[in-house]
Amino acid sequence: MIKSYIKIAWRSLKTNRLFSIVNILGLAIGLATTLVLFLFILHERSFDTMFANKDQIYRVLLNTTEDDLETWAGVPSALAPELKANIPNIIKSGRILHHDFGKTASIKAGGGVFIEDKLFWSDAAILDMFEVEIIKGTGSENLNNPNNILLSERTAKRYFGDESALGKTVSVDNTTTFEVKGIYKDFPDNSSLDFNAIVPFMMQNSAKNPSWDNASFETFVMFNSEVDHINDVEGSIQTILDLNVKKEEQWYNFSLQPLAQIHLYSSEYLDSYTANKGDINQIRNLTALALLILIIACINYMNLITARSQKRATDVGINKTLGASVKDIVIRFYIETGLITAIAMILGGIFAVFTLPVFNDIAGKQLDISVLFSIKILGYLLLIWLVTTFLSGSYPALYLSRFSPKEVLKPSSNKGGAASLIRKGLVVVQFSASVVLIIGVIVIHQQLEFIQNKSLGYNPDNVIAISTSGIRGGASGNALVNAFEKLPNVSVVSRSQGYPGIGVSGRSINKPNTEQTMGIQTNRSERNIADVLQLKLVSGQLLPEIKQQGDTLVEVVVNKTTVDFLGLSPEEAIGEKVAMQLGNNAYICGVVDDFNFSSLHSPIGAYAFHNASREPKSYLLIRFKNEVLTETISKFESTFKNVAPNAAFEYTFLDKNLELLYEKEQRTANVGLLFSILAIIVACLGLFGLAAFMAEQRNKEIGIRKVFGASVSRIVQLLSLDFIKLVLVALVISFPLALYLMNSWLQDFAYRVEISWTVFLIAGILALLIAFVTVSYQAIKAAIANPIKSLRTD
Amino acid sequence: MKNTLLSLNEASRTINSGSNKVTLLDTINLNVNEGEFISLMGPSGSGKSTLLNCIGMLDNFTGGGYTFLGEPVHSMKERNRSKLYKEYIGFVFQAYHLIDELTVYENIETPLLYKNIKSSERKGMVADMLDRFNIVGKKDLFPVQLSGGQQQLVGVARALIGKPKLILADEPTGNLNSKQSEEIMELFAQLNKDGVTIIQATHSESNAAYGSRIINLLDGKIV
Repeated sequence: MIKSYIKIAWRSLKTNRLFSIVNILGLAIGLATTLVLFLFILHERSFDTMFANKDQIYRVLLNTTEDDLETWAGVPSALAPELKANIPNIIKSGRILHHDFGKTASIKAGGGVFIEDKLFWSDAAILDMFEVEIIKGTGSENLNNPNNILLSERTAKRYFGDESALGKTVSVDNTTTFEVKGIYKDFPDNSSLDFNAIVPFMMQNSAKNPSWDNASFETFVMFNSEVDHINDVEGSIQTILDLNVKKEEQWYNFSLQPLAQIHLYSSEYLDSYTANKGDINQIRNLTALALLILIIACINYMNLITARSQKRATDVGINKTLGASVKDIVIRFYIETGLITAIAMILGGIFAVFTLPVFNDIAGKQLDISVLFSIKILGYLLLIWLVTTFLSGSYPALYLSRFSPKEVLKPSSNKGGAASLIRKGLVVVQFSASVVLIIGVIVIHQQLEFIQNKSLGYNPDNVIAISTSGIRGGASGNALVNAFEKLPNVSVVSRSQGYPGIGVSGRSINKPNTEQTMGIQTNRSERNIADVLQLKLVSGQLLPEIKQQGDTLVEVVVNKTTVDFLGLSPEEAIGEKVAMQLGNNAYICGVVDDFNFSSLHSPIGAYAFHNASREPKSYLLIRFKNEVLTETISKFESTFKNVAPNAAFEYTFLDKNLELLYEKEQRTANVGLLFSILAIIVACLGLFGLAAFMAEQRNKEIGIRKVFGASVSRIVQLLSLDFIKLVLVALVISFPLALYLMNSWLQDFAYRVEISWTVFLIAGILALLIAFVTVSYQAIKAAIANPIKSLRTD
Repeated sequence: MKNTLLSLNEASRTINSGSNKVTLLDTINLNVNEGEFISLMGPSGSGKSTLLNCIGMLDNFTGGGYTFLGEPVHSMKERNRSKLYKEYIGFVFQAYHLIDELTVYENIETPLLYKNIKSSERKGMVADMLDRFNIVGKKDLFPVQLSGGQQQLVGVARALIGKPKLILADEPTGNLNSKQSEEIMELFAQLNKDGVTIIQATHSESNAAYGSRIINLLDGKIV
């Protein structure tokens, strides 16, 4: 029996080639999308699950309690030791610091110079918690003594080639030398922590003199067992804070984040050193999108199967008069669907293999198709197959099996008003979804354009930042400035701790005679920084040219937002003493106009350039004249090497760096575009099928009209108009939905575009055009057919 | 005296068309004995097909009584009714209604599949039927590869394979030329001689003449 059904299904597939291809193609596209996203979601969800102690490890988060309530992944360095000492359930606690507060290191090892972007200062406890596997030498105990370094397997190979790295010397930024004591296994690519090289945190000043001010240290704790009442622990942490920091000086409190949540639930948190941040919202959106496409594909299937209901009804009728029960018919349709979905699955799998590299590319992932072939995944695939079969098979099975056998003896011409309504409804749903996607893609694109072209209050074009971490002492730093200033295509040079687009030091500023404080970004810099960035001085003066060593006087140039907070005019602010954790001797010497120093997601906050020697000036910022870029760069490199032969030459363009800030949005736009195209293709396949069905249904009517003189164009018009109406309904549904969705997406930006009516116009015209092209093929085909043929069939 | 196969007692069928009540069959009284060959005649719309459908239990009488092999069909549940017709009735259609995707052999075999008959047994029964109708050579062809007469032959073979007591044929030769018609009617006559009860609806006087009894219908009434 089942064999016979499969046979019928297979032969009917072969006879109705067009329908079969449309059907299978639509499903295969839907399934391929689902498969790719499925891989992606599985990978994202697998983060940090490989650590044996994963349920006992938590990260400490800092929540600011003033102004905008932010959450930071960095906490003060004094916290970790206090936690272990005072909370009995915590058996381990440790801190990590990305080298020089998040910078790359210049490494000299094995005769070469390397740029290392994943050098971390870590407590020994971190390695114990995560059970980092040592493959050569010794492990975490080395972090309790200075000048030891541990390298990952890959890094050791990079530094020393095939030679054994153990016992060798590594110099970091030409200031400190370390001895390689151990080699550990590389962290897997789905680990939030990813260290290439680890050096002892105990060497840091913040470890020797732990403070409650500088919240820059990512801190992990491990409990002796799984924790049931995390609130109680957080209460105990608050008690510790109260003992160490006066209540009125507390501008933050702490909370705990389980390791399992770090990857997906931290996208809003600042100051995190963990690699590969994911975003649960992205996962949710993509899941919804994948399901949407799959559902659209299933809808198509139902549409196409039931569309040919005249033939189907006859089939069902014959089989019933031959003795088939309703159950037989239902089974038959499920088998037919199962066969088609199986073919579509295989085809979809093949599509997935080919589209995965594309997806990896635009989503910035490294997913591997081979994981599809594990037993567990194959089980999931079987599940997807069953669900798809069930989803798309149910409607035809239940709808068609109800046909009475008398339909065979007396085929009624008018049937299924409800069914055709459902069919039309499905097309409307498909097109609404497509239009929402089209609008989404356009708006995202516009917003990105807007961001990239917005006036930032400074000029990031033609500015290069060269890392000077590898240069020792002030002398050669100044030598470097002098050397660069002499170059013909250099306009102006300044050394600086950081530049707009990267984090500098977070401090807080106090409004005199009040308890009000505000977070402020402080950037140790020089006089020329204002010219390099082309900032506008509103009042006062720039930083003084020369500052004597040992001079405790600190000059500060603040932005407009800062003086607004202080309640002063830019003119009044000049010469005012400021309390912003830069010592007791800090005065405002100038005010510059506001500029967007971070991404346009956030409004402009307080920012200050100062000349206190608390932080290193890690970058050389150069404004250059726009000439042949490659020549300029090689000239810069040779100049740099002349002054600092032992340091690695590493540079960034400020405008390129800014683009990185919107990488996530750019990816969203690309992924959205891909999905929109897929959804539209699938929806078109559905429309195509429906048009074919309508043409078949109205075959006789068309024949009669032609006999009575209707022209081909009149008939095409007649057939197309029905669909145009459906698309119009879809537009009416999708416009408000798209408006709502895109407005909420734009809420993430402090600076955003208005959604203009032209977007809707474009999307509407596009949808109509696509629908019209799809339908006209069938309409023209029906219109030019010989009427005698269609009239004879009755 | 032959056994009564079915009897209709004041059976009628009315439907609602809009707000009007339309009577399709009007108080039909009819006894059919086993072994009869009945021709239903009448102009289009006289109720021939409706009567066949109702007798074949694909449709219901809305009034009166219908007894089949002594069982009161009119008071049966749908499920038992379809069991009854699957067991005892075979259908032949004007448009043949073979399953396009199946070969001649598979078309004939289909009713046996629904009866859950074992594979080996099925083979024998289909082979017999192909033999009897002289279409062994065509068993692997698909319906589209056959002439109308040949398709109807397969249709009859398929109706017979389940060994029904009654064959209902609605204009079985309506799509055939006169020579093919003659062959099919000869076949019916032969089947009838072998003991199968047949009721056919037809327009053709000559076809009707093959029957042992002619019943004329007009506006849903026997005249």
